[in-house]
Amino acid sequence: MYLATREMMRAKVRYGLLMAAIGLLVFLILFQQTLQSGLLDAFVGAVRSQSAPVLVFSVDGRRNFQGSVVTPPLEASIRRVDGVGRAGQIGVRNLPARAGGKLTQVALIGYEVEGLGSPGRLTAGRLPAATDEVVASDANRGDGFDIGQKVRIEPGGRELEVVGLAPDAQLLVTPTLYGSYDTLTEAVRAFNPSATDRPLSSAIGVGPAAGFAPSELASRINAANADADALTATDAAAATPGVFQVRQSFQIILLLYALVVPFVTGLFFLIITFQKANALTLLRAVGAPRCRLATALLVQVALVMLGGIALGTLLYAPLASQRLGGLVFHFQAGAVLFWSVLLLSLGLLSALLSVRRVLAIDPVGATTGAGVAR
Amino acid sequence: MNHGRRDTPHTPDDQGTAADSHTALRLEAVRKVYRLGDDDVVALHHADLRVGADEIVALVGPSGSGKTTLCSIAGAILSPTAGRVVVGEQDITEFGESELSRVRRESVGFVFQAVNLVPFLTARENLLVIDELGSRNRSAARARADQLLDELGLADRASNLPSQLSGGQRQRVAIGRALMNEPSLVLFDEPTSALDTQLGEKVMELIRHEMKARGTAAVIVTHDERMTHYADRVVHITDGVLAA
Amino acid sequence: MRLALQEMRRRPGRFVTATAILTLIALLLLFLGGLLDGLIGSATSAISGQTGDVITFSSTSQSSLPSSRVGGAVRSEIAGVPGVERVGGLGVTQVGARVPGRSERDLVDVALFGYELPPAGLGVPPDRAKAYADTSLRAKGVAAGGTILLGPARTPITIAGFVDGLRYGGQGTLWASPETWRVVQAANRPDAASAVDVFQAFVVRGDGSVRAAELARRIDDATRGSTSSRTTAAAADAQPGVEQQRSTFNQIIGATVGVAIVVVALFFALLIVERTALYGVLKAIGARSRTLFGGVVTQAIVVSLLASAIGALLALVAALTVPAGSIPFSLSPARVLGTVALLVLAAILGCSFSLRRVLRIDPASAIGTAS
Ligand SMILES: Nc1ncnc2c1ncn2[C@@H]1O[C@H](COP(=O)(O)OP(=O)(O)OP(=O)(O)O)[C@@H](O)[C@H]1O
Ligand SMILES: [Mg+2]
Repeated sequence: MYLATREMMRAKVRYGLLMAAIGLLVFLILFQQTLQSGLLDAFVGAVRSQSAPVLVFSVDGRRNFQGSVVTPPLEASIRRVDGVGRAGQIGVRNLPARAGGKLTQVALIGYEVEGLGSPGRLTAGRLPAATDEVVASDANRGDGFDIGQKVRIEPGGRELEVVGLAPDAQLLVTPTLYGSYDTLTEAVRAFNPSATDRPLSSAIGVGPAAGFAPSELASRINAANADADALTATDAAAATPGVFQVRQSFQIILLLYALVVPFVTGLFFLIITFQKANALTLLRAVGAPRCRLATALLVQVALVMLGGIALGTLLYAPLASQRLGGLVFHFQAGAVLFWSVLLLSLGLLSALLSVRRVLAIDPVGATTGAGVAR
Repeated sequence: MNHGRRDTPHTPDDQGTAADSHTALRLEAVRKVYRLGDDDVVALHHADLRVGADEIVALVGPSGSGKTTLCSIAGAILSPTAGRVVVGEQDITEFGESELSRVRRESVGFVFQAVNLVPFLTARENLLVIDELGSRNRSAARARADQLLDELGLADRASNLPSQLSGGQRQRVAIGRALMNEPSLVLFDEPTSALDTQLGEKVMELIRHEMKARGTAAVIVTHDERMTHYADRVVHITDGVLAA
Repeated sequence: MRLALQEMRRRPGRFVTATAILTLIALLLLFLGGLLDGLIGSATSAISGQTGDVITFSSTSQSSLPSSRVGGAVRSEIAGVPGVERVGGLGVTQVGARVPGRSERDLVDVALFGYELPPAGLGVPPDRAKAYADTSLRAKGVAAGGTILLGPARTPITIAGFVDGLRYGGQGTLWASPETWRVVQAANRPDAASAVDVFQAFVVRGDGSVRAAELARRIDDATRGSTSSRTTAAAADAQPGVEQQRSTFNQIIGATVGVAIVVVALFFALLIVERTALYGVLKAIGARSRTLFGGVVTQAIVVSLLASAIGALLALVAALTVPAGSIPFSLSPARVLGTVALLVLAAILGCSFSLRRVLRIDPASAIGTAS
């Protein structure tokens, strides 16, 4: 400890720069990890957290609410499948709306049966009781979607009052409203008077009858009808187009960042070890055991890594509780722990090259000056 | 860290004749051959040397004659090719790497020809680091370091880094460092070669004073005949052969 | 300067690891940039690829095609605006396509456009029930001359040929006549069906007498605010999510450049510590601080250029090996050059941290006792 800390105290700038570099990298890694989950939440949160255990799209719908249309014959055949307890239409439309004085796109989710497509949980307020009432995604509360505020569909001028807020309820990073199917019908009719009477449903929310597991029900429905694409809510969220690409892209980015960390620490300690070869030879000559010097090096690596991780976490913490363009971030303690352990291990591993150098130092160098660099 | 070598009773390991409590160093038929590629360089031929418990021996010889090699072997830094090395009461001839480290840490002091101080430690810390490496006894070590620095006239330089010290001051810190572990034998490899004559004499005087005050044995390597009168005895070395 | 380059040639080992780190950072920057360009391209290149100067949406649509509808009355108002040469309708329907050779449940997402004014790389619209396909659909099994079935109504469309670089909403696109588009829409999206003269947007080509932004303003004036017109590039940028993606990625890229600055600063700080004695000697024999620091900067630039070159090569290899249709990644020369410039700038900034240290080296230290 003594040797390790003394040296660090005497070369604050170098060690400080290293810590800053690692801190920045840790911050970037944590931030992007959080960004990824925030993005996925905002992308498919509504699919994951709505109340229907099983969602049935049309095969043509490609597993997304906006693309799927379930025709009445398809709906009828789904309802007939053995194991279906309850079933209800879910209609989703993207509509322009004015909220908080600003024009924006909203996703309006209309559900026929409460508990099949309605929000799974509310953070405030209640579920809608009339066709001009909706629940809004909590993440957009500040953008004119708070309880009591009115959202106006444009054109058409249909006004919807927010009566409840649902967490993790966004669809495609758009402010999302939940209302009865009639709410959806009236809003669509106001927007496009030439549309057919009742908008076709985007999906059918299904609850299994007693004795059936949701995944089992989903495969039964798929087996019964080639045009039906039934998935449990979690599977549907994971299978939404784009989710896989987002995950994969972020994984590559995180991997590259995670690689930079051991490279930087490894290089730094290799140079430092090279530069203080004299001092290390001398210490060996006056009786320092090999492992003592190697430990001192590893202690430095650990201190620098921990300092960097602390710095990165400190930078990340205030950002982690913020909202960014409709995305909601959460401080992810699990991610902090995971990356801390991983980066600490990688850092220590990267110092092994330097440790090998330290172990190879011959104390005889001190007597002849051969240990002197150059 | 008071080792008090001279009071330690003989251990069964020690082979009879070596266990002479009035001897600080004993080299018997020591031979050192360096391998340089395919060539053998014989640095020491057949060195026999005995240094008394509080004796100061000057080792004088031309460049390349084997002085540093001899000191390194005596100081447990090098192992001889053949022969026997006894430091204090320990026969270190067959010692392995970590045992030699321990001998260096506990029983001998060394002032090197070239590099002597850790650049990122202050003068005082350069002394304290010896305690850090061994069995620690902080408060005693602190007291000892301060006392040594005081004796060496460096009390007001204790918190200076080596780069902020003059050559003579650095040499004095190195001497202090060599005395930190209360060794029974201190090896000085040309302690005055980097200093001018006047300063060199001062340092030699200091070494003699410190050695005699502690009753510590010393081998002082020099090629400057003028420095030899500080020693009790002069041993000459030429081409790896000792001559009294 | 010569000394600096000589050092790099004689002792390459000392620069290898630093170059490796910067290469990784260059790769990261290129990957991030390529991903951003790829994401935005796959979401909007069908819009930015329009050859018109201005795209006119209905005023409440937020430049989103599916939420926009503009009719014949608006069209004649636009045609009457001075500076307008041609007006063409544009509409899109997103459906799942059944492609021969793929399993019954394995549909391909496509966006079928009906167009009048050809976008980049296309001629006049093909005959009824035919469409040009974006090349990205090739990887999904779409072939020229083949027939694919669109939507639940299984509307057949025959592929007349391919066009490069027109994607929309992350999907491959099909380009057909307005009539074909209307047929597909009416059959598969009855609730979004539009009358014969109604489109989702108008692509407007100017006669060159006014700038595009001015033309857009004139059009919105002429329609008394019922439309929202933007230049083609601005319309692409106004697609949902594009702005957020760009700003988020740019922030990440900025912070990564920050890492590069710190790494270079660290590396050269260490290198200069090692060279203190050498610089002392050089100063003692008359070298100026400026010359010495110039050498440091030269080395930083060489290292960063080398790293950028290797990084760009690796990124290119990555771009070629990324399976088509998996990660939206596109590497443009502009992105590569921009990244190189950023990295060189970071290198110069980073090694400037060491300027003070170089200035402070005292030539007297070379004469005094060497330590
Ligand atoms: N590691 C080594 N490998 C090979 N030969 C060596 C090695 N170390 C020393 N020698 C050789 O051994 C001989 C004795 O060297 P040593 O360093 O002991 O001389 P010295 O008397 O201390 O000389 P100086 O007064 O110049 O310090 C020399 O001929 C030297 O070249
Ligand atoms: Mg010597």
